[in-house]
Amino acid sequence: MIIDKNKINAFINQIISDHIVFAPVKNKDMVLFKQIKKPDEMTLDYNNSRIPPKSIYLPQTETLFRFSKNQNINLETPKKDGRTLLFGIRPCDAKSLKILDQVFTGEYKDSLYLSRRKNSILIGLTCHNPSLNCFCTSVNSSPADTDGLDVLLTDIGDKYYVELITSRGGKIVKNFPGFKPANKEDKKKKEEIVKKAKDSIKRHIKSERLASILDSIFENKYWEEIARKCLGCGICTFLCPTCHCFDMQDETAGDKGARIRVWDSCMYPEYTMQASGYNPRPYQMNRIRNRVFHKFNYLPKNNQVFGCVGCGRCITECPVNIDIIEVVNQAREVKKDE
Amino acid sequence: MNNPYKPWLAIIENITDEVGGERAIKTFILKFKDKNIQETFSFKPGQCIMVSLFGVGECMFAIASSPTEKEYVEVSVMRHGKVTSALHEAKIGDTLGVRGPYGNSFNVDDWIGKNMVFIGGGIGQAPLRSVIHYIMANRKKYDRIDVIYGARSSKDLCFKEELFELEKRNDINVHLSIDKEEHGWGHFVGFVPDNLLEISPSPENTIAVTCGPPIMIKFVIENLLKLGFSPDQIFTTLEMRMKCGIGKCGRCNIDNVYVCKDGPVFSYEQLKSIKGER
Amino acid sequence: MVGNKELQNEIRKIMDHKDVKYVLAYKKGTYGFQTTPFFVSKREEVSQVIFSPFCLNNLTMYIKNEYAKEKIGIVVKGCDSRSLIQMINEKRIPRDRLFIIGVSCGGVIDPKKRSKRISEPLENVDVVEKDDKFVFTVNGKKQEIPKREIVFDKCIHCEYPTPLIYDFLVGDKIEPLGKEDYCDVKDFEKNSLTDKWKFWEQQFDKCIRCYACRNVCPVCYCEKCMAEQLDPQWLRRSVNISENTVWHIIRAFHLAGRCTSCGECERACPMDIPLMLLNKKVEKDIKELFDYNAGKELDSKPLLAIFKPDDPEEDIK
Repeated sequence: MIIDKNKINAFINQIISDHIVFAPVKNKDMVLFKQIKKPDEMTLDYNNSRIPPKSIYLPQTETLFRFSKNQNINLETPKKDGRTLLFGIRPCDAKSLKILDQVFTGEYKDSLYLSRRKNSILIGLTCHNPSLNCFCTSVNSSPADTDGLDVLLTDIGDKYYVELITSRGGKIVKNFPGFKPANKEDKKKKEEIVKKAKDSIKRHIKSERLASILDSIFENKYWEEIARKCLGCGICTFLCPTCHCFDMQDETAGDKGARIRVWDSCMYPEYTMQASGYNPRPYQMNRIRNRVFHKFNYLPKNNQVFGCVGCGRCITECPVNIDIIEVVNQAREVKKDE
Repeated sequence: MNNPYKPWLAIIENITDEVGGERAIKTFILKFKDKNIQETFSFKPGQCIMVSLFGVGECMFAIASSPTEKEYVEVSVMRHGKVTSALHEAKIGDTLGVRGPYGNSFNVDDWIGKNMVFIGGGIGQAPLRSVIHYIMANRKKYDRIDVIYGARSSKDLCFKEELFELEKRNDINVHLSIDKEEHGWGHFVGFVPDNLLEISPSPENTIAVTCGPPIMIKFVIENLLKLGFSPDQIFTTLEMRMKCGIGKCGRCNIDNVYVCKDGPVFSYEQLKSIKGER
Repeated sequence: MVGNKELQNEIRKIMDHKDVKYVLAYKKGTYGFQTTPFFVSKREEVSQVIFSPFCLNNLTMYIKNEYAKEKIGIVVKGCDSRSLIQMINEKRIPRDRLFIIGVSCGGVIDPKKRSKRISEPLENVDVVEKDDKFVFTVNGKKQEIPKREIVFDKCIHCEYPTPLIYDFLVGDKIEPLGKEDYCDVKDFEKNSLTDKWKFWEQQFDKCIRCYACRNVCPVCYCEKCMAEQLDPQWLRRSVNISENTVWHIIRAFHLAGRCTSCGECERACPMDIPLMLLNKKVEKDIKELFDYNAGKELDSKPLLAIFKPDDPEEDIK
C-alpha cells in the first residue's frame, strides 16, 4: 500500500486520539523518542535517536512495587500503561526489542516489560540513508528489515510505501482512509531505495564462527589492550538497544517507599562487587571481555541471536574511539589460547 | 501475569544466634503470612529465596531447611553488608518479603542409593543443611552418609547443637573440625580439606557435595580428585552478586550461565567448561 | 603544525629510558575524523603516533588511575598541561614520574561543529593548516574552513596554546589565540532566575546518569565517588530532574578551584548537556573571589585546601 506524505499528519492525529504515541522529537542536535500530542512535534528527518526506544519499554527508572512501612505492610504493583504506538522506529531498534523480549520472557515473565510490549504497536521507517557506523547487514538485519515491526514505511518521494506485517498493523492502517493500494512503480521505487541503502553500508563485521573464535581467545591479552583505553563510562551500555542490565533498590520517603529498578552497566566495577569486598570482575579487561562475549558469544549460545543489531551508537558516542567493529574483526587475527 | 518482583509477606517466627562477633550468623525461621502460600510453597534442597527487608533491600539466601519441614522456611544469614546488617537488627514478629524458590537444586533423586559425603565450611553449611535434613528424612533411600564440617574456631561453628546431636546417631558419620587448637576440643584440628584427606572417603558409588569459602572449595576439589573422585561426582554451589534472581538483570552471569537461575548448584564437570571469573 | 616525525623521535628518546611503562600519545582512529588514545609500549609502535587537530582527548585522564611505580610518558596540549599541573599540585602523581612532551596546539576541531559542515567519510581524513584555515581532503576533494568556525569554543579563547609544563616541546611556541573573558557565562547571568532555572531543568532532564562526565574528567578521581556511596546514600539511583540536578551541582562544586576547563566532560556527554557553562561559572566565581585559576602554576597549593587571613568572608558578620 501507499500513503501520501501530506496525509501522515492526519493519520497520526487519528492514532493520538486513542493511543499514547511516541515519535522522534528533535532536541537541538539530537533526536529522542518522546510522547507527542500533535503530529508537528515529530521529526522524520533523522538517522537514529540518541537513546534507543528500549527506554519506553524498559524505562530508565521504574517502580517495581510500592510499600508502606507501617504495621500492616501492603505491596502494590503500579498500574499498567494504556495502549501505545511507536512511530518512526528504525528496523534495527525494532529487532532489538525482539531480542529483549527473549530476555524478559523465558522461565520467569517480567510482567512490567511484557505488558508494555504487548500493548504497543510499532510503525517503522526504512533507513534510506544509513549512518557511517551502521552495520545491521552484518548481524542478520537490514535497513528495511520487518522483524519485530507491525507496519513498515519506506519514503519513496512524495509518498510512503507501506508494508503490513502483522494483523494489528493491518487494523490500524485499514482504519484510516488515506492508505491506497500501491502500483508496480511504487514497489520498484521502494526496492531501489532499499538496495541503495544496503549498498551504502560500508562497515561490516565478519560474523561466521564468531562465537567459537571468541571462545578460543578468552584468556588472551587482546582484551587487556582494548580495556586500557576504556574509561568505564557506561555510554555504550546506556545507548545500546539490546543492553538490559538493571539494578534494584529500595527508596523511601517517610513511611512510604518503593522498590525501583534503574539502568545499570556491566562496565562499572560495582556491578559485580560482593558484600565481602570480593569482585569477580575486578579490572576493566574482565568487564569489557564480558560485554563483548555477552553480545557475540553468550546470547548466541543461549538464544541463537546476536546480542547486537548493528546500530552503531556505541561506536559514534564512545569518547575514546573503542570500536566494536574493529574489536570483533581483529579478534580473528589474534593467536588462539593454548 | 504476576509481577515476578513482588514478594510474598513472611513473619519472623524465631531467630537463633549461631555465631557471634564480627562475622555474626543468625538463623531466621520464616512463616508466610498467607497460610495458603505456606502450604503450597515447595522447593528442592539447594534452591534459594530472595529475602526482602522493605526500605533496605533484598538478598538471595540458600534455604537452610529441608522441604520435608513444611511449616516454615529457614535461612542462615551472615552479617556482611547493608541488607544483612539490617536483618540482624530485625526482631521476632517483623514482616519480611520472600520470593522464590529460585535456581536449580541438588539432584537428590539421581543420588538415591549412593553414598553421600558433605564437606562444608563456615556459612557454606547452610545449603548443605537443607539436603542433609532431606536425606535424613528419607534415610533408607541413601547409603553411607558422611558430614565433614569445620570452622575457624568452635565459636564459629554453625548449627553446632544440631551437629553434635547428629554425631550421636549411628546412621550418619559427622566429622567436625576447627582450624586452630582449642582447650577441650576433642576432634580434628586443621583445615577442612586436610580433614577430608584424613577421613579419605571412598569414591566408589559416592557423591561429594561441598560448600564454603572459595579457597576451601578449591582445595577440597583438589583433594577429592586426589582421592579418586571423578568431576561428575563432585558438586558445589557458586555465588555471585544478585539483584533480580530470575535471570533478567544480567549481573550474575559466568560465561553464558546465570548463577541465579541456572545455578547455584554445579557439578565440577560443568564448572570445568565454564570460562570466566567466579 | 606539529610534525609527526619530530614527535615520534621525542617518544623514542623517552622509551630509551629503562623504567618507562608506556607513553600516552594519539594514533589514527578507526574511521573518518577519529583519533584515539594510544598506549605506546613497544618501539615498533612509535611510527603510528600522530598529532593533528583531531586529537581531542585529554590524555591526562589516564594518569588519574595510574598507581604503578614506573615512569610514564605523556603528550599534552596546552589545555591538557593545565590538568597535569593540577594533578601534580594535588599530589596525585609526582612530577619526576612523568616525561612530558608538550605539543603546541592551534586549536582542535569540535566534532559537533564539524559535522554540520562536512560529513564524515569512512577513510581517515587528512587536514592541513593554511594560515587561519583548515584544509580538509575528503575522498579526494579539498574543502577550506576558517579555524575559528570549527574549533572548540575553548580554543577560540585559549590563553595557553603552548603547554605550561613539558620536558620537551614539539612545535613552535604559539601566542595566545584569545582571552578568557567568560563572555558565555556573563551573557547567561543576565537571564532572570526563573529563566536560568528553566534552562537547567531542561538540560538536567536529558541526563541519563551515565557518569561519563566524571569518568572522563582528569580531576575526578575519588576512590569512592559520592554518587556510589550507599551508607549514607547522598544520591538516589533514580533518574529524575531532582537527583540529576543534585549530581551536576555537587560535581561542579567538587571541581571548584580544580577544574581547568579542558572541556572533556561536555565533549563526552552523550546527551549534549552544556557542562562547560556550569563549570565555567564556578571558575569565574573562584577567579573573582580568590583571584585564582587552577592548573597554572606548578607547586601552587590547591585553593580550597588552604586559607589566607584576608580571604573574603562577607557571609560572616
